[in-house]
Amino acid sequence: MKDFQLGEFEEIVLLTVAILFGDAYGVTLKAEIESRLNRKVSIGALQSALRRMEQKGYLNSEFGEATAMRGGKRKRFFTVTDLGKKALALSRETRNQLWDAIPDMAFKIA
Amino acid sequence: MEDLNIQPPKGANRLLAFFCKTEYLEDIQGDLEEEYILKHAKGPLKALLWYYWQVIRLFRPGLTKSSKINHLIPTNGSMFKNHLIVALRNLWKYKAGTVINVIGLSTGICAFILIALFIKDELSYDKHHVHADNIYRLTVKNFNQDGEVNRHWAFASAGHAQRLKADYPEITHAARFYAWAFPDIQVGDKVFPSEQVVFADDDVFDIFSFRFILGNAESAFKEIKSIALTEQSAIRLFGNDWRNQDILGKTVQIIRDGMKASFVVSAVMEDMPQNQHFHFEYLAPMEFLVPVFGESMNNVTGNYNWLTYLRLQDGTDPRRIEEYKDDFFDKYVGLFENGIPAKKAYDFELQPLLSIHLNSHLEGEIESNGSLQQVYIFGTIGVLLLVVACINYMNLATSHFSRRTKEVGVRKAIGAQKSSLVQQFLTESLMVNLLSFPVAILLTWLALPYLNDFMGKQLTLNVLENGELLLGLVLLLILVAIISGSYPALFLSRINLIQALKGEAAINSNKWNFRSWLITFQYAVTIGLLFTLAVIEGQMKFIQNSDPGYRKDQILHLSMTRNIRNLDVFKNELLSHPAIHKGTYASRVPTGRLADSWDSGFFKDETAVQTTFRLPFILADEDFLETFEIELVAGKNFTSAMEMSTDSVGYYLVNRAAAKALGFDNPEDIVGRKLSYGQYNDHIYRAGRILGVTEDFHFESLHSEITPMVILKGDWNMRTICMQISPGDLQSALTHVEEIWTKFDPLNSPQYQFMDDLFDQQYQAEERLSSMIKVFTVIAVLIGCLGLIGMVGFIIETRYKEIGIRKVLGASIFSIISMIGQRFLLLIGIGCLVALPVSYFFISGWLNGFVYHINIGLLLVILPAVATLVLTLLTISYQTLKASLINPVECLKDE
Repeated sequence: MKDFQLGEFEEIVLLTVAILFGDAYGVTLKAEIESRLNRKVSIGALQSALRRMEQKGYLNSEFGEATAMRGGKRKRFFTVTDLGKKALALSRETRNQLWDAIPDMAFKIA
Repeated sequence: MEDLNIQPPKGANRLLAFFCKTEYLEDIQGDLEEEYILKHAKGPLKALLWYYWQVIRLFRPGLTKSSKINHLIPTNGSMFKNHLIVALRNLWKYKAGTVINVIGLSTGICAFILIALFIKDELSYDKHHVHADNIYRLTVKNFNQDGEVNRHWAFASAGHAQRLKADYPEITHAARFYAWAFPDIQVGDKVFPSEQVVFADDDVFDIFSFRFILGNAESAFKEIKSIALTEQSAIRLFGNDWRNQDILGKTVQIIRDGMKASFVVSAVMEDMPQNQHFHFEYLAPMEFLVPVFGESMNNVTGNYNWLTYLRLQDGTDPRRIEEYKDDFFDKYVGLFENGIPAKKAYDFELQPLLSIHLNSHLEGEIESNGSLQQVYIFGTIGVLLLVVACINYMNLATSHFSRRTKEVGVRKAIGAQKSSLVQQFLTESLMVNLLSFPVAILLTWLALPYLNDFMGKQLTLNVLENGELLLGLVLLLILVAIISGSYPALFLSRINLIQALKGEAAINSNKWNFRSWLITFQYAVTIGLLFTLAVIEGQMKFIQNSDPGYRKDQILHLSMTRNIRNLDVFKNELLSHPAIHKGTYASRVPTGRLADSWDSGFFKDETAVQTTFRLPFILADEDFLETFEIELVAGKNFTSAMEMSTDSVGYYLVNRAAAKALGFDNPEDIVGRKLSYGQYNDHIYRAGRILGVTEDFHFESLHSEITPMVILKGDWNMRTICMQISPGDLQSALTHVEEIWTKFDPLNSPQYQFMDDLFDQQYQAEERLSSMIKVFTVIAVLIGCLGLIGMVGFIIETRYKEIGIRKVLGASIFSIISMIGQRFLLLIGIGCLVALPVSYFFISGWLNGFVYHINIGLLLVILPAVATLVLTLLTISYQTLKASLINPVECLKDE
């Protein structure tokens, strides 16, 4: 169980990779997170989260084709692995359980 | 659309490539660039800053290369961190101790660096010449009738170079330098008086590696009347912007004795490097002098004024050339007139170029050379000071650490190994070293200008440009850290666990141990330095107080120029000032060198017998003896009416030494005898009379013996005029001199000095040595005192209870003081025993450099010992007194 735990930022990154299915690499991921969540993301934070999760096995990555753009440097595309999906699912489930456990009276959004 | 011309900042990319894992680099950089280009469209500067900022923020553990530093840290990495923290904590906690340590170490290191820089420079002389290993200077020895070396000149005769080169194929190149007096140089209508124009053979450029700015070695001497300048002389003649003036081919006039010759500037060389044993500013071809000197250019004896250098074939043993010398003298001279074969009287020696600066102190050295002895003395002192600084640290650190025996005990009890403890204390030593080094370098940097000024050097501490120096400093840091840190570390790690935990004094301060030897060594160095200083100072005082045999106070020495023609009028006008009493013209004056020497013959009966010893001369007028207050022991002085150059008889004064050398112990007996002296152009002196005998006086410095000399009455080649001036009116007298000077020679400004300054200049090298030793002694004493403070504090601390008990039992204050102090007495005693003989050996060598010197008396031996004792007592007095006044209750109340 513990192995599946995701940090908040990790979860966001993982979800965004899933959203951008097939087109998830550094720049798009960053732009997506920034536009959807309206928060600044540094490349450093993003990249270290990506690599960390790749090491944990939540993400897979492979190089795309080299193009003339970006100085001929290849893009690294990320995809969510099965393990990653499980982790996401688990995370969602845990939250749901927690949400469900809140008594109505105690939590009323004003 | 993406603009392909926009380039991301290179620096940032390089930084990224430096730390980012290689497997991640490509795509991360790609991402960065993609965004950069987008941002660039909005604002280039902002994009640039953004790029850098992002790169910096990529510096995170997950993305960086695994650091190599990790492997440097010992395997027990966590302990290293702990050691570091403990070290810092302790340095901070014992601030006073840290400061003492840092001061001690950094001054020691600073002194060492300074000395090392100095020595490195001294050893580098003349090494820059490509053929340095095959270059030799030809020096000539003269033997007296008993076969002993009489004179040894740095110079050879005019004919040596060419003849040797022609006769012996091993000599591939030969060149002479001849400084043809000091002619004036005229450029346009500007006259530069007394410039050192040196004439040299063409081979000079094949022997030495001079670097050219304009022209080259081939073109420099193409014409007979060409002159090669150096940067400095080019600036002097043509101004700072000479480079823009196209000075090659310009004409300069060389004026001497009314002769004028036009020389063409053929080359400009770089200034001769400071670490070269000669510095010339003008070189001109020797060929020019051939018509001037004529046949005498072929002489192989006499006129030793030709600085001669030979370049030998690679691998030739110079001793082989020297073996030719008998053949050589037989071939070219054979027998002298007096029947003595020349080979018995003369010899030549080949002196390796590289040994000249440090080893050669012959007659007529071009510049005052360094001395190997000085290098040894400084080198020894430098190493000793460094060792003393290390020792000081060892001592202080050991006593310091011993406060922490409990800590050591606890560490051991929970399983620290010895190696871990050693590491811990080494870490602390390293920290102190790391603190001391920047301080040392700062001190060196501050002191260097003074040293340079003082020693006439141009040393630099440019670590960035000089990789060798940087490497040396790093090695020094490591060396010092290891030397100074090893003993305390080993010592403390050996402490017995039980003892340590009980808090017993780990070190019995009463025991004679390694540390006592360290202190003894420190004492020995201090005492040795004090002794050396005492001897040098003693000798300097001796020089100052010794009577040179002539008056040196209140005498103004004014250099003449050729523009002043009417000597009598000039002198009379100078003497018209009430404060200027006496004046004399002379070719050379005391404190100078007796450089001019001609052949002479002494008439025993009616035939002249050539003198076998060197009999140098000076030219002077009738007021010379009176102005310098030199005593006349027999005969008469010159009179103004005597005209040397027209009178076929000639008049000479000789000194007592000359009378003795000619065989007259009683000076009265030589008066009136005939002497034939010299032959020089139109000044031919034949068979003159010895008019009088002067008392011996130190014309040259006390380094050399009083040599026989002769004073000629002359009115040519008077280079100086010396005047006695009364002390009160000095200023107005000087003004008067300047006024008269301007009247006679408006082109030049007067160059005057005082005799006593000239006198002191003779001993400049000694004066410098003395000051340097003074500084080093102060450093050694400072370091030693710091060590003592630490040491005494430690002794008192470990014997705190003992002092209390002694006091309870009725010990007097004095007995407590003597209990603590007597230890040092013993150490000083041993220090003296070691230091005095060693430094005596060193310094007596130095003293022997003076023919006239002091004897090392008992006082000089006792003085340093007493001084050390007093210093020790003063240093330890405060703490000792405090300890002896202690209230026993204070130290005995808690157990």
